[in-house]
Amino acid sequence: MEQLGNQWERDFCFFASLPALLWQVFFLVVPLAMTVYFGFVSEQTGALTFENYRAVFDGAHFCIIARSVITALLTGLVSLVVAYPVAYFLALRAGRWKGLLLFLAMVPFWTNFLVQIYAWFFMLERKGVINSLLGILGLPPLVTTNSIGAVFLVMVYCYLPFMLMSLYIALERFDERLLEASSDLGATPWQTFLRVTLPLSMPGIRTGLLLVLIPAFGEYAIPALLGGSHYMFVGSLISYYALVARDVGMGAAFTGISGVVLLGVALAIYSFLRLIFGKTRVEGEE
Amino acid sequence: MKAQWSRSAVMMPLVVVCVYLFLYTPILVMAVFSFNSNPLGYQWQGFTTAWYGELFSSSEVWDALKNSLVVAVASASIAISMATALVLSLKRSILSRAFFAFYANLAVPEIVLAVGLLGLFFFFSISLGITTLIAVHTLLGLGYAIPLIYARFESIDRRFVEASLDLGATRGQTVRYVVFPLLMPALLASALLVFIVSFDDFILSFFCAGGSTQTLPMYIFSMLRADVAPIISALSVVLLVSSSAVILLFSSLQMRKLGGMS
Repeated sequence: MEQLGNQWERDFCFFASLPALLWQVFFLVVPLAMTVYFGFVSEQTGALTFENYRAVFDGAHFCIIARSVITALLTGLVSLVVAYPVAYFLALRAGRWKGLLLFLAMVPFWTNFLVQIYAWFFMLERKGVINSLLGILGLPPLVTTNSIGAVFLVMVYCYLPFMLMSLYIALERFDERLLEASSDLGATPWQTFLRVTLPLSMPGIRTGLLLVLIPAFGEYAIPALLGGSHYMFVGSLISYYALVARDVGMGAAFTGISGVVLLGVALAIYSFLRLIFGKTRVEGEE
Repeated sequence: MKAQWSRSAVMMPLVVVCVYLFLYTPILVMAVFSFNSNPLGYQWQGFTTAWYGELFSSSEVWDALKNSLVVAVASASIAISMATALVLSLKRSILSRAFFAFYANLAVPEIVLAVGLLGLFFFFSISLGITTLIAVHTLLGLGYAIPLIYARFESIDRRFVEASLDLGATRGQTVRYVVFPLLMPALLASALLVFIVSFDDFILSFFCAGGSTQTLPMYIFSMLRADVAPIISALSVVLLVSSSAVILLFSSLQMRKLGGMS
């Protein structure tokens, strides 16, 4: 197909591919580069300085980054543990319920985040459903919005469908005869799970963790609506610098450092899973 | 071992039921409360559909919906056109590497991108509004559309193309009558996906829309900052019902072997 093109067609092709590439450069590469650059510009003098980056490396900023990393990691792990049996059931055991259950799993996935966050107001508020039920049982109110617990719970709630879908897609391709083969060869169900099912679903686990980890790390709406003012997250601080303090230099430096930390964490998880996955395979082949 | 299997046969459905209860209890409670005549939230007073009436007569909601639809339709069409042009025109050897670059749109946290874009618009004194929103959502859309359309393009049987060229069709005719129809399912699927992603997006809109333009998620956010508002319950139920309808539409497309997505 390519060798048939004449000069005019080659020119046409060159210009047709330009919009997407230019768009990518102008709206992705340039803004990211500018963020890194602005981090070096002093807010007072406009001169180039390391001051902003140095200021980010203090305890308070790193505490916030650490809180976001831990919350994102825990959200990923908890949603993995909760979603795995459901995805397994959907892919291999659901039978005639499969269509309905899959549909029900997809509705939250396709519905606006803010709607899902909003739904939890009714559960978690001081006079909300959970506390009212506890009251009927004669117990004191237990849950409340404006707490780190509420933020974490709703994070898991909102990101669970992402994990569920990635795991389901990986497990759906799974050949069930491998389970029979494994048990015929004398493996206990637990061994079969560890050495056959889990390694084969590893691509789904990896995708799911990254799909949860990246947005959860920078999550803005959930802490803003349910976190109260006590707990700052990366998303809240970035938007504070950009929208409230209007400190471009500090905001850019903090954004840049957070991005690098996230990239590091994502790569670490990715290679860690690779490592385990590789080992399991070798064991299986012995 | 028999015992093990039967134990897991009971346990697993139980876990599944619990997880679905966890997913749906808040949504169902909210749906019930959207018919509550008590405007202050948590005490049930009586049944009313007044909030739905208020929702449909609120000009603020209609304006926000109009903005959301305009941005979603525009960014979906622009992103799909640019993605198709790129996939059809780049040499395959370059394309197979270039399309990876577009995953970056999804891998960069949205808030990082949003702040960078705000800086960009500020630096070049571009005033924020519906145009910047469309530009930004188009960028996000490329991240979904290009990998999807590329995957479909790669799966096209090259012999169709060769046959068409052998039979005397020009390259343009081949693209139009052979390649394009084969790409159609992926184009539809990614257009729908980009539409939904744009329609649901909050962070990028929040930063790049400016003070005078409001999308539906921005409207919801601003209302929630205050407190529970019954009109938002009604709106949420409407949105849930619409997304269910979209999923049914989408899966019926897939059923007919048209879907390019797994």
